[in-house]
Amino acid sequence: MRLTDPKALDEWRARIEAKENARASVPRVRVCAGTGCLANGSARVKSAFEAEASARGLAVPVDFTAESTGCHGFCERGPLVVIEPGEILYEKVKPGDVPEIFEKTILNGEIVSRLQYRDPNTKKPARTSGEIPFYARQHRLVLEHCGEVNPFEIADAVGRGAYRGLGKALSLEPGTIVSMIRESGLRGRGGGGFPTGAKWESAMKASGRHRFVIANGDEGDPGAFMDRSLMEGDPHSILEGMLIGAYAIGARKGFIYVRAEYPLAVKALQEAIRQAKERGLLGRNILGSGFDFDLEVCRGGGAFVCGESSALMASIEGRAGEPRVKYIRSTERGLWNCPTVLNNVETWANVPRIVLNGPGWFRSLGTEKSPGTKIFSLVGKVKNSGLVEIPMGTTLRTMIEDIGGGVLKNRVFKAVQTGGPSGGCLPADALDLPVDFDRLTDSGSMMGSGGMIVMDERTCMVDLARYFIDFLVEESCGKCTPCREGLKALQRILHDLCSGKGRPGDGTRLREIGEALADTALCGLGQTAPNPVLSVLRYFPEEIAEHESEGFCRAGACRGMYWPEIDPEKCVGCGACAKACGTGAIRGSSRNPHVVDRALCVTCGACLEACPFSAIRPVRRENPA
Amino acid sequence: MIEITIDGQTVSVEPGTTLLKAARAAGIEIPTLCAHEGLPPEGNCRLCSVEVTERGKTRLAMSCMYPANRDGLVVRTDTDRVRTARRFVLQMLADRNPKAPALRSLCEEYGVTPSAPEGVEPELCIRCGRCVRACETNGTNALSFAGRGWEREVTPPFHEASEDCIGCLSCAEVCPTGRITWEEKGRKRSIWGRAFDMVECERCHDRYATLEQLRFTGTDPETARLCPRCRKTLQQGRIRLGNREL
Repeated sequence: MRLTDPKALDEWRARIEAKENARASVPRVRVCAGTGCLANGSARVKSAFEAEASARGLAVPVDFTAESTGCHGFCERGPLVVIEPGEILYEKVKPGDVPEIFEKTILNGEIVSRLQYRDPNTKKPARTSGEIPFYARQHRLVLEHCGEVNPFEIADAVGRGAYRGLGKALSLEPGTIVSMIRESGLRGRGGGGFPTGAKWESAMKASGRHRFVIANGDEGDPGAFMDRSLMEGDPHSILEGMLIGAYAIGARKGFIYVRAEYPLAVKALQEAIRQAKERGLLGRNILGSGFDFDLEVCRGGGAFVCGESSALMASIEGRAGEPRVKYIRSTERGLWNCPTVLNNVETWANVPRIVLNGPGWFRSLGTEKSPGTKIFSLVGKVKNSGLVEIPMGTTLRTMIEDIGGGVLKNRVFKAVQTGGPSGGCLPADALDLPVDFDRLTDSGSMMGSGGMIVMDERTCMVDLARYFIDFLVEESCGKCTPCREGLKALQRILHDLCSGKGRPGDGTRLREIGEALADTALCGLGQTAPNPVLSVLRYFPEEIAEHESEGFCRAGACRGMYWPEIDPEKCVGCGACAKACGTGAIRGSSRNPHVVDRALCVTCGACLEACPFSAIRPVRRENPA
Repeated sequence: MIEITIDGQTVSVEPGTTLLKAARAAGIEIPTLCAHEGLPPEGNCRLCSVEVTERGKTRLAMSCMYPANRDGLVVRTDTDRVRTARRFVLQMLADRNPKAPALRSLCEEYGVTPSAPEGVEPELCIRCGRCVRACETNGTNALSFAGRGWEREVTPPFHEASEDCIGCLSCAEVCPTGRITWEEKGRKRSIWGRAFDMVECERCHDRYATLEQLRFTGTDPETARLCPRCRKTLQQGRIRLGNREL
């Protein structure tokens, strides 16, 4: 059925809502089929529910929308299952748990308490997702429908309000929409933080026979999956944002550039485009407005640098994904030299909401300079890892301690790395920093696309910088001298530092190269590439100095650069370290303090990791390797 | 025309002129490696940096690509920041392969000492991509970059002799370091793993082109009997000598 005008869309939505309301009291199971939960075996859980329903020949209609319901974002606890009515949440569900869930929850409305989420600190069980601090402290705006709508069913999305923003936008002048976006203060969620409205305005005013809009879904940071979850969970919000943007700047064609390693996202977007076309929400004469717009999904080639806008456009054009010098902006000369607006998928997903609720509403969220919310992927040594959407300006402490539940094993927090490989590490002193674009940049890190990796005292900051520089050396396209040669130079020094071959002056050399690299590199990747090194130099200079001149790694992460020493006061003689030791270097009798035999120790760090009492600590070597 | 200031000197230029061109026209020298007058600029060696102040904001920019588009643009080519940036670029290039003469003289000028006299690899290539752009500009497209980052190298596709190569030596001609070498023996020229037959001028006997070059440019065999120089000489002669048969 093709929708010929906005009224037809409203009528369709009303019909879907009525149907939804009618079955709200009927039991229904939602199984998360996001990539994280799928990896944990949610497909088998889903089949188990289906098998159980048919085995029982239940007259109770169990409505499986669970072809996929997108990502709940609480991936560490997957597979996640929600039972309606009551939105009862179960975590780590196995196929074997299904009969019990049927018996108790679906048929009798009782709770299976062993499958409930328990707060790691208070041990209090949570009945619904709303009761879990992980969700309670969040403000889910863009992720609103992720996990609730079936991304493969447009009716589901429309029933939840999708394309209402488009309906309104088509009744407005394009210039009015651009002003709305400008007034809202929306900034690019891909990390740059460039004002979206200014971008649109510049493309709208630029001359060109064709104009394009592009969604950047080439998420490549290690540990980041915000864009993936959004594309997999709520593709229509991205389509709708792009439709509105295209209408505003006068584009008739758009591209969604998705990382090739995200097959489910590609499938969800392609299906969303197909269904939107079928309904007349894409294609010619959209909702009878005379506006034509078509979308194409482009799969990336697996290069990190293709997330950089000009490299991404080169890749769409079929050329090697390398950035170009951007003294002329892509809003004037972008894809095929035409005015182009490129925004991150999360930015696009904000657009319909702003058009619908107005810029003032958007400004009421977040901070003055960074309104709205931002999705982060909170990972690392934190109790609750997963996707987190918070209003801008929320402090790092709230994110890590309240939402994240604190550091794993109750170890000491050391640093949080934000912004992906080109971001920086912030120390404990910075925990009260409100997270927004400018504060993060001022503190030597950056928003990036929203990666957030928490580290404890077992993380060596020099080794961490080495890890990210290794990644960037691998991913630099090599076009410009500073990035190609400079990163390699940083890598050599860092590898030396982490293997006990540090030389006096290494820290100074790292700083000189890093600063010059940031000043001279061609694209955003290169300009921010030294951030991991520079932020470690800024906040953890003592660790660099110890690696450089003492051959000592205080975290016990760099091999041969410390001895593990057991504190007899703290050691209870549990033997966990001896069990973990691969070389038999730890001896001691049960319930008595153990000792490390240095002649056998290979400093693999397994004992440090294994000790539940933090009784083992790295100490300096007399003659460093 | 718009007026900009370069090192205190007021210069009047067409809008869109690159800062490099504007500076050179004003007699101000800026060092370059990847820039070449006959090729589209790419801004990848990052040596030609200058400081640009526009609308109150100062930034480091690559003069080979930065267009002068606004009256009152202020350019400084010799600040501390510029010198540091140029020294860094030279240091990075010279640390890898310090032997290219063009690089050496620049290093001397900027007081840069390569960290090892032999560098990291024996090759002379600095990945400026002039050769690739020359090949693209010719329309032959036989050369490209392969590999990413540190591994980036100039090569015909798949490291094989390219069928598209016409042996014209444009790549070698524009190479600033002498990395691209070729050989000529008898009537054969070899480059990039391929041998080409040379065409000899009937008048001066210069082996002036390869057969593939003539084919690529669509030169007819009758014209090709003489090299361009002899052709020109004779043509000029014809004009000078009126009806006389040559």
